[in-house]
Amino acid sequence: MPQSTPEEPPKEPVLSALEAIPTGRRIAAIWFPYWLSEIVMPAEKRDAPFVLAEHQRGTQRLAAVNIAAEACGLYPDMALADARALVPDMHIEMLDPARGPAALDKCARWLRRYTPWVGADTHPASHGLMLDISGCAHLFGGERRMLDDMCARFNRRGITCCIAVADTIGSAWALAHYGPDNIIIAPSGHGADAVMDLPPDALRLPAEACDLCRRLGLDSIAALAAFPRASLTRRFGPYPVMRLEQALGQAGEMLNPCVPAPEFIVRENLAQGVTQLDVIAALTQNMCTALATKLFAAGQGAARLDLVLTRADNEMQALSVRLAAPSAEAEHLARLLATRLERVSRGLDTGCGVETLCLAASVTAEISTPQAPLTLGHRALKTPPVAALAGLFDRLAGRLGTQVVVRPVVHASHIPEHAVSYQPVHAHPLSHEADGEALSAGAAPEPQTRPLFMLCAPEPIEVIAEIPEGAPYRFRWRRVLHEVARAQGPERISPQWWPSARQHNSLTRDYFRVEDRNGCRFWIYRDGLYGRETGRPRWFMHGVFP
Amino acid sequence: MREKKYQAEQRRLTVTRLRHKLRKFERVPMAGEAVPSGFAAIDAGLSPHHGLLRGGVHEVCAAKTGDFASAAGFGAHLAAQFADDKAVVSGQTRQSVGEHGRPYALALPTVGLVRHQLIHINGADLPDLLWATQEALSCPAVGCVVLMSLEQAPDFTASRRLSMACRAVGRPLVLVLGAEAGQAATAATTRWQIAAAPHNSWQVRLQRVRGSLERPPPMAGWQGFPWREALTISEPISDATIADVTPPATAPVHAAPAYGS
Repeated sequence: MPQSTPEEPPKEPVLSALEAIPTGRRIAAIWFPYWLSEIVMPAEKRDAPFVLAEHQRGTQRLAAVNIAAEACGLYPDMALADARALVPDMHIEMLDPARGPAALDKCARWLRRYTPWVGADTHPASHGLMLDISGCAHLFGGERRMLDDMCARFNRRGITCCIAVADTIGSAWALAHYGPDNIIIAPSGHGADAVMDLPPDALRLPAEACDLCRRLGLDSIAALAAFPRASLTRRFGPYPVMRLEQALGQAGEMLNPCVPAPEFIVRENLAQGVTQLDVIAALTQNMCTALATKLFAAGQGAARLDLVLTRADNEMQALSVRLAAPSAEAEHLARLLATRLERVSRGLDTGCGVETLCLAASVTAEISTPQAPLTLGHRALKTPPVAALAGLFDRLAGRLGTQVVVRPVVHASHIPEHAVSYQPVHAHPLSHEADGEALSAGAAPEPQTRPLFMLCAPEPIEVIAEIPEGAPYRFRWRRVLHEVARAQGPERISPQWWPSARQHNSLTRDYFRVEDRNGCRFWIYRDGLYGRETGRPRWFMHGVFP
Repeated sequence: MREKKYQAEQRRLTVTRLRHKLRKFERVPMAGEAVPSGFAAIDAGLSPHHGLLRGGVHEVCAAKTGDFASAAGFGAHLAAQFADDKAVVSGQTRQSVGEHGRPYALALPTVGLVRHQLIHINGADLPDLLWATQEALSCPAVGCVVLMSLEQAPDFTASRRLSMACRAVGRPLVLVLGAEAGQAATAATTRWQIAAAPHNSWQVRLQRVRGSLERPPPMAGWQGFPWREALTISEPISDATIADVTPPATAPVHAAPAYGS
């Protein structure tokens, strides 16, 4: 049950007809009035005027200001030239439009420490988040303490926030944005009374509706709410009325979580803290069985597992395992987790004991057997037992890391080192179509003209050639002198002319296949055409033939 | 009459069963377990079934420092013979990656591999690679495992363990070793030494065959295999050409069974 704090005694309802229906739901709205500037601003310059500028309609205008700049009389949407005239010594930076939303998303994920249900603020002009804290506040010692903790943590990071708790999304939003204090708690069941004195702008209305209210002399929500709904709808349209009813709790409003809560989750609360890793491993095995049963019943397989260990001192440690193909096999999941636990055991600090284990299949997919192509190029491949391979990938990646288990992927490029890359098998699951196309699009070279081993980066070699354009006579690679017995070439590979000028600094390469007197074969190239692109072309070793 | 026929049938069955059992004890490969190496001259000197044992470790060592790529090429060719369109898991130690780079996917057809078959473990320590090898060997979708290590070979215990794992699951491991690493004691089924040779060919020496009755093993001397595509000819040498290769007259070629206890 949500708790109401005794700070504000419930008042008599102003209008009995508009009495809010107690829903038992508690919503916290957080508003960051200086979000854009405060996430960019360095902490030591917090007291100096700081503004973010952006190009707008041919001029530079302020996009965001901090508290100090606001105190100097600056405001967003002001021309930068005017602002400079007012405050000559302010710190100016250009606005990065992607940064604000990204930081807000990160913040939403962080706020899941208070409640699993964190949603975005749908108002376009405000930076804020909505939290459904129903039934969560008592874990932090009541709503007041929870909000104090939140506020303190934000302030420590130099972020100003206004938080309000009420029964509805609308009223919480109104109190956070237009309330008299930084932290406001509207008592449960009386959220409507708290917003009555606020201006109509607090109802998240569009600008023209706010203007109309002002012209009509409706200076508070109470005045607006006193009108019959039918005449309000006639004058304002249905949207403001809906917002009014939502704020007063007479109409429902959904809060969509930014981070969807995992559907398949198994939690184990222990009576006593556990410090031994093998006990944790054994518990994990049991949880895997339970999770697999849940998954199997729903016809789903886990594509990613997250294990969160919560210690007695409320510290959390998480580890995650990604799977190449969704699986609902308890043994497989348990084995992967066991491997990962073994790997991280040194870094895992069980401290005063782990009290809660939470295993979630955070990404799931329907279990199905994909159809493999019947033919691949010139050679027909039998359908590989996909599941067996996927299981192998998971086990290998679990111990060695996802970046180590790779498969070659072909790209449509004629620059040898760009034509093939190794991609993690998890990123490129068992589908062959994409790179098959890439290969047919870019004319594939004859395989025997390419070395079986290509060096990670071309290595410079010292070369003596008879003629500048010809094949080398002898060369020195890694301090070993090789006498060239036979050579074939050149194969001329021109640089790509289409990338932008900045990247366009490579030269034409002439590749030679050379065999030394011992029979070792190498793939070497001369960087740059002699006389046309460079005066002293350099030679490089690029690969070794079998 | 009927009774007699039944008894004869029973006897025949018992004999067949015992034969199978004996074979298991003697580790003589069944007809289906031997895989042709792809070179007629090599196959002629191998085992009753003219091929390499599928469930075993096949060690391919470089003869000199510069021959690692040739050894890897020969190893990859063996792997392609073994894999039979299944996946090939290849593992490479960190030093090997630093020294020679990674297999280049566009060149894989030259050793008979298809790009999609290849799953590569890119630079890990040898203990991790050995663990990964055992995991890969136990996967039914894997046709062959190739392990490339330049500087360090698995010790005898590890080698023995690997060869037991291979025998248990009936899948091969091709171990490609650098010249320095290839000197250690080993429990491998076969051990090859490869050197690059001029005119686009390999020098191949079969150093040992485990359980072979002959001392020295067949092909103990160096033999040249003009398998590699000629530098001056742009046409690749087709499979037919490989089959036509006749070993030099000096090469000892034995048709006797090579596998036996």
